[in-house]
Amino acid sequence: MNWDSLDISILGPAFVAGLLVLATHVPLGREVLRRGIIFLDLAIAQIAGLGVIIAYSFGWEAGGWQIQAIAMSAALAGAAFLYWCEKCWVEVQEAIIGCVFVLAACAGILALSANPHGGEALKQLLAGQILWVSYEQLIPVLAVTVLVLAAWFGLGNKRHPLMFYGLFALAVTSSVQVVGVYLVFASLIIPALAVRRLSSNGLIYGFMTGAIGYGVGLCLSALMDWPSGATIVWLLAMSGILSMSLTVRLVKSVE
Amino acid sequence: MRNLSSLGAVCLLFVVLPSQAALNIFACEPEWASLSEEIGGDKVAVYSATTAKQDVHRIQARPSLIAKMRRADLVVCTGAELEAGWLPVLLQRASNRKVQPSRQGYFMAAEKVERLDIPEVLDRSMGDVHAGGNPHIHLDPHRIQKIAQLLAERLIEIDTANEEFYRARLSDFEQRWQAAIERWQKQAEPLKSLGVVAHHKDWRYLLDWLGMEEVATLEPKPGLPPSASHLATLKTKMATQRAAMILRTAYQKARPSEWLSDKTGIPAVQLPYTVGGSQSAEDLFGLFDETLTLMLKTTQK
Repeated sequence: MNWDSLDISILGPAFVAGLLVLATHVPLGREVLRRGIIFLDLAIAQIAGLGVIIAYSFGWEAGGWQIQAIAMSAALAGAAFLYWCEKCWVEVQEAIIGCVFVLAACAGILALSANPHGGEALKQLLAGQILWVSYEQLIPVLAVTVLVLAAWFGLGNKRHPLMFYGLFALAVTSSVQVVGVYLVFASLIIPALAVRRLSSNGLIYGFMTGAIGYGVGLCLSALMDWPSGATIVWLLAMSGILSMSLTVRLVKSVE
Repeated sequence: MRNLSSLGAVCLLFVVLPSQAALNIFACEPEWASLSEEIGGDKVAVYSATTAKQDVHRIQARPSLIAKMRRADLVVCTGAELEAGWLPVLLQRASNRKVQPSRQGYFMAAEKVERLDIPEVLDRSMGDVHAGGNPHIHLDPHRIQKIAQLLAERLIEIDTANEEFYRARLSDFEQRWQAAIERWQKQAEPLKSLGVVAHHKDWRYLLDWLGMEEVATLEPKPGLPPSASHLATLKTKMATQRAAMILRTAYQKARPSEWLSDKTGIPAVQLPYTVGGSQSAEDLFGLFDETLTLMLKTTQK
C-alpha cells in the first residue's frame, strides 16, 4: 500500500480529465451502440494519428496547434468517409470500419519506417497518459467538450447523421491525446453498455458509472502503484457490471 | 493485546523517523540509485523510477512517480535527452521547486562527463539520435568514477551537515572501485579488439572502454525496430566480417539477436546492462563482474 500517492493534487487533474471525457463519450457511446459501430473510435483515432505521421514524413515539423489542426482535419475526413460508407453499404459498415483501422495503422507503420521521430509524435497522440495531464492542458479539452455537447444536445432531434460523425471525430481526437486509446474506447463503450436498457436516465447513470470507474481506478492505482490508465479501464468494467446488474433490477421493478 | 499494538506503533515510529530525516533521492535508473546508495549510505533514502527490465526511453505513468518526485531533495538521472519522453512532464507535474533544472536538486549524470557520438549536424533521417550524444554512459567505469565524485559534491552542497560522512563514503567507494577497474581490465584482456553486434547503441561506452569494436547494430537506425532487409544485410555482412557476439539488454526482444545468431553461428548473449538486470548484478560492482564474466564465457564457447 502506498498512501503517499493518494493525494488530490496528484489525482485531481486526472479525475477531472476523466469527467470531461465521459461528458462527451457517454452520449456518443450510446449512439455508437445504437448504430452498432463499436470500433469507430479506434478507426478515427488511428486516422488522426496517420494524418500527423504523413505531415511529419513530408518534413512539416509542426508543433502545438498545427499538429492539432492536422489531426482534427484527418479525423474529420475519415469520419466523412465512414459516413458515406454508412449510406452506401450499411450492412457491412462495421467490417469496413475494421479494415480502415488496420489500413490506417499499417500505413502509419510504413510511413514511420523511415522516421522514428514521427513515431514519437504518434505515441504522444494515441498513447496519452492520463496522469501526466495538468489543469492548464485541460482547458482546450473543456472547450471541445462544451462545443460538442452544445451541438449534440442543442440540435436534439434535428441533427443530421453526418453531424454525429463530425462531433465524434472532434471528441475522440481531443480525448485520445489526454487519456490514450484504451481509455477512450472503455469510456465510450462500457458506461453506454451498462445502461443500455435505460432510456430517460441513461445518460446520468452512465456518467455516474464512468465517474465511479475513474475515481476508484485512480485511487487503486495510487494505492497499489499500478499504471493508472490500465487500472481505470478495469475499474470501469467492474463499475459497469455493477451498474448493469442494478439497472436490470431497476428496469424489472418498473415493468 | 493493546500493549502489544502500542509497542508496535512505537517500534514503527523508530523505523520511520530516520528515513524521514534522510535525504530523499529520486533516481531515474537503477545504476544511479545504486551509486547514490554507495555515496549516501544510510543518510539517503533512494527510490528508483525504473528497473532493469524497463526501457527507460519510455515508461508508464504511475501516481507514485509524482508522489516520490514531489518529496525528492535530489533527482539523479542520466539526462542528455534519455528520459526526454517523461522526465520533463514528471518534473512539471510534481512542481517541486528544489529539483527543477538549474536547481541544486537536479543532477544529470551524462551531462557531467564527455559523451561520444555527438552529431555534428542533427538530421531527422539518422533515426532517434540524441543531440547531446550517446547517453548510455554508465557502462564505462571511469565515467562512473567521475560522476561519483560530482555526486558526492552535490550531496555535500545539499546536506552540508553530513559532509564528513559523504567524503568518507566517497573515498571508500573510490578505493574499491579503482581496485575493481584494475581487476576488470586484466580480466577483459582477451576481449580486446573483438567485434560485436549490438541491438541498440547501448554498449558504446563499454566497448570503448574495453577496446572492442561495434561492427553493426540490429536496429537499422537508432530507435527503429530491426527490419527484415536489414537483418538479411547483416547476415551477408557477417559472413566476411567476424563478430564474436551479439549483445542485447534484458528489456530488448530476444528474437532479432537469436535470429541472427541462428543464421550466422555468432553466439547471442543477454547482458544485465544495469543494476538488477540479472541476479548477480545487484550493485554496480556486481554489474561489471557479471557483464565481463558473461562476455568472456561467450568467447570461450
